[in-house]
Amino acid sequence: MTTLLSNHLLSVILWLPLVGALAIALIPKRLEHEAKVAGLFVSLATFVLSIGILQRFDNVEAGFQMVEHSAWIPAWGISYALGIDGISLWLTMLTTFLTPLVLLSAWNSVHKHVNAYVVAMLALEFGMIGSFLATDLLLFYVFFELMLVPMYLIIGVWGGPRRIYAAIKFFLFTIAGSLFMLVAILYLVFVVKGASGPPTFNIVDLYGLAIPMKTQALLFFAFALAFAIKVPIFPFHTWLPDAHVEAPTGGSIILAGVLLKLGTYGFLRFVLPFFPEATYKYAPVLATLAVIGIVYGALVAWVQPDMKKLVAYSSVSHLGFCVLGIFAVTQTSIEGSILQMVSHGLSTGALFLLVGVIYDRRHTRMLADFGGLAKSMPIYATIFVIVALSSAGLPGLNGFVGEYLILVGSFKTLPWYTVVAASGVILAAIYLLWLVQRVFFGPLDKEENKNLPDMKWNELAAVIPLLVFIVWIGVYPNTFLKKMEPSVRQLLTTVENHHAASERLAATAEPAVPTANPVDGVSR
Amino acid sequence: MNLNPLLEPDWLKAIRPETMLVVGGLLLILLEAFFKETLRRFLAPLAAMILAATAWVVVNMYPWVADAPRVFFGGTYQISVATIIFDLTFLLATLLVIMFSRDYLQRENIDCGEYYALMLWGTFGMMMMAKGLELLIVVLGLETLSICIFVLVGFNRRVALSNEASLKYFLMGAFATGFVLYGIALFYGATGSTNIPQLLVYFSTNQHAGPLLTIAFILIMGGLGFKLALAPFHGWAPDVYQGAPTPVAGWISTAPKAATLVVLLRFFAATSPAVEQPKWMAVAAVLAVLSMVLGNFVAIAQRDLKRMLAYSGIAHVGYMMLAVRTVREDAVAAIALYAVTYALMNIGAFGVISLLQKNQNDPQTLDDIAGMGFRYPFAGLALTVFMLSLSGIPPTAGFISKFYVFKVVIDAGDIGLALVGIFTSIVSVYYYLRVVYYLYMKEADELTPVPARGAFATGALVLAIVGIFVVGIWPMPVFDLFPLAANAIFLGH
Repeated sequence: MTTLLSNHLLSVILWLPLVGALAIALIPKRLEHEAKVAGLFVSLATFVLSIGILQRFDNVEAGFQMVEHSAWIPAWGISYALGIDGISLWLTMLTTFLTPLVLLSAWNSVHKHVNAYVVAMLALEFGMIGSFLATDLLLFYVFFELMLVPMYLIIGVWGGPRRIYAAIKFFLFTIAGSLFMLVAILYLVFVVKGASGPPTFNIVDLYGLAIPMKTQALLFFAFALAFAIKVPIFPFHTWLPDAHVEAPTGGSIILAGVLLKLGTYGFLRFVLPFFPEATYKYAPVLATLAVIGIVYGALVAWVQPDMKKLVAYSSVSHLGFCVLGIFAVTQTSIEGSILQMVSHGLSTGALFLLVGVIYDRRHTRMLADFGGLAKSMPIYATIFVIVALSSAGLPGLNGFVGEYLILVGSFKTLPWYTVVAASGVILAAIYLLWLVQRVFFGPLDKEENKNLPDMKWNELAAVIPLLVFIVWIGVYPNTFLKKMEPSVRQLLTTVENHHAASERLAATAEPAVPTANPVDGVSR
Repeated sequence: MNLNPLLEPDWLKAIRPETMLVVGGLLLILLEAFFKETLRRFLAPLAAMILAATAWVVVNMYPWVADAPRVFFGGTYQISVATIIFDLTFLLATLLVIMFSRDYLQRENIDCGEYYALMLWGTFGMMMMAKGLELLIVVLGLETLSICIFVLVGFNRRVALSNEASLKYFLMGAFATGFVLYGIALFYGATGSTNIPQLLVYFSTNQHAGPLLTIAFILIMGGLGFKLALAPFHGWAPDVYQGAPTPVAGWISTAPKAATLVVLLRFFAATSPAVEQPKWMAVAAVLAVLSMVLGNFVAIAQRDLKRMLAYSGIAHVGYMMLAVRTVREDAVAAIALYAVTYALMNIGAFGVISLLQKNQNDPQTLDDIAGMGFRYPFAGLALTVFMLSLSGIPPTAGFISKFYVFKVVIDAGDIGLALVGIFTSIVSVYYYLRVVYYLYMKEADELTPVPARGAFATGALVLAIVGIFVVGIWPMPVFDLFPLAANAIFLGH
């Protein structure tokens, strides 16, 4: 048992939720309470085990740690390979951390097919952890698609009135992107990599292949499309508001908290190191879309009458910052981006949770139906205001750190984009304070709102751990940053080296052409 | 050419599986004739046992041909790793169908020996098609199979739809066979041979190809395309699947297609040195694209599940044709894997539909399965797995086999065709997922109880689901074994 834990810690953490899900699927339908307890127990056990990762994580090591490797389809160089580094560490932790909270928050709000809900959530956790831990491209792809099914069911079975439309839209958008990525993966491995040796799906072996620019651009866009839909980057975001509004609270928390991060994570893990030249060349395209998303998401959030939709559009805006940070390709901006992914998971997760709390009581989420709730639900109001401020980027809370690092880092390489993006911070303050004001302050004039019960035990138990980390990241982000720093540095080295090498190649190939503008180290 | 078969010492051993199926079928009919009522409930288990025993014999032929294929009957009949894999595919498909059939036949009161005998004989026909190195042997197999299918489609003779389907399939199928025969005759006229290895020799040494050969190619392609339900020769499929007894529809949508694809693989390989081959393969590419696009888009409009699966089948044949037309060695393994996978998931899907049907006249539309997922958890789960596998979602076998096919296509440099395949796959996800959505996310208007499920059908569901996940998660044995099949097809022997 001890050797299993010490040698295969990642595998244990990965498979535990699935084993738990299969076991819970066998619990008879009527034992709903038992199923919930079992689900909570399994997800908590996963979280506790994942703390073991933190303990054993080497802060100096840049590459993958705790690696596990065994052949899966050796003929094609596909393997079951797991590993964790500074880029995936906190996202994995976020996943194991959020899942028990989601199950807790749904304690009394999911009424039908309770056992199936628990099973779907744990299956989803399995897919998410697998995506973050996989160091084999095909294994990643398998998990990336695998988790669509439980999420589809979560939205479609337990969702709101337009859940079917939202669920199918979610599924089709995502799979459309990922199937084109599959073609690109096959081409990358069998045609590009296969030309110079046996094919391999090992991520590290595929880093920085010399790919002709034209091919690289096509592959870049095929990968970028898949992840851009997942993030989602404007103009691929239209599935997100539908999915969020219709999903049950738990589904929204996981969707915003973890699933969207797979897009930004995919950019960092695959797109940048696989296609360095294309990254530099097309960074302005992605940065432009990111900035449009930041401003557009914020403006649309401002005018939403529905609280959940407001938070959904704020996600589009906040994730725009993450994408901007990634394509600025600097140490600070990428670190900020990863931190912002985690922060957004916590803050937006908490916001969806809190919206769910009020929805359970009033069965409406319209801003117009509320007002003055601070009088009837003081604890709720306090927590909501803290979370809203964290999302708006108040210094001292988590949202500020990530956005600040992104803006500072991006200013070096993408100054004008950064200037426009900074307006998103102001807009965020406007729409979130507007939300807070209309819901919690003003006269308590609606009769139905006067006797609302305040937060229940399970709701508090779900939200308080989130608050702890919201403050922790805001006050002492170094706990988180120091673990990701070496991996991000290595990523940048990979990207810059190959870029520089190809620049030299281009320079020697065409010595006659004088460069009109002297290029700096990171030209674009 | 050695025309005396008795000179090949092991010829009896070579056709042992075929003999077992033919004799087994006869036995079933005789038993039924002599002990009509008492033995009826043993017919299905007996048929299943015959199939299992045949499979055992086939597996044991492996050491015999592991190193090199063996050829019998004057170079007309080949036993190889490839034929073993395909034989097992046919046997597995037929076994699954028979296991699903029992409940259905008993409910319809047509549980007779002929049904099982025809299935065994049809399987025998498919084995002949897959093993024939001589085009005439292939046609014999094809006809044996077709006659069995004609009868089986109309087996429920009290149902008008079933009769109509049978007649439709018979009339069109007769024409299709005529085309194939005519094409073979023209081939003989142009090359002087109908033997596949000899055709390969002919095309390797003669670089001219006249219009006669092209006409012959188109005739054969059309005739086999009909059997495959390849667009634009697909018109019969939806009507026949809808009218045929549901398990039979599952059978004819899978195993015969696999047998026909082996024939095409051999045929394409033999004619590959021909000058006109690139043009012919372009024709095949057009048919494949047409099938993928038409199958997937028209399937969206179907509300009857059997018709939907018919169009989805047209699309799946399109994917397989993409690999077949590359005429690459690894296409053999890809097709073999796809055929097994497709048999598991498609027969499974038809099987679930047959279990939910009250009787043959009861159409199974999407509305009929509304809310079934939570009320009949196992059947619902099974149908969900089959749909996810059909749409190629990992970790199911459907993903691995689609992956394999697209790998072959991209390796061959046909990126454009691969993109068409991917694009139509996205479309297909919509209608496969719609089934899941009706299963779990819609409430039924009225509670219609479904018939009880027998142990045999449950066993078939378990077998299909386990197979799908084993291939999807643990595909190493497949990747070790299946590539060995290529040399049998490509070296001809």
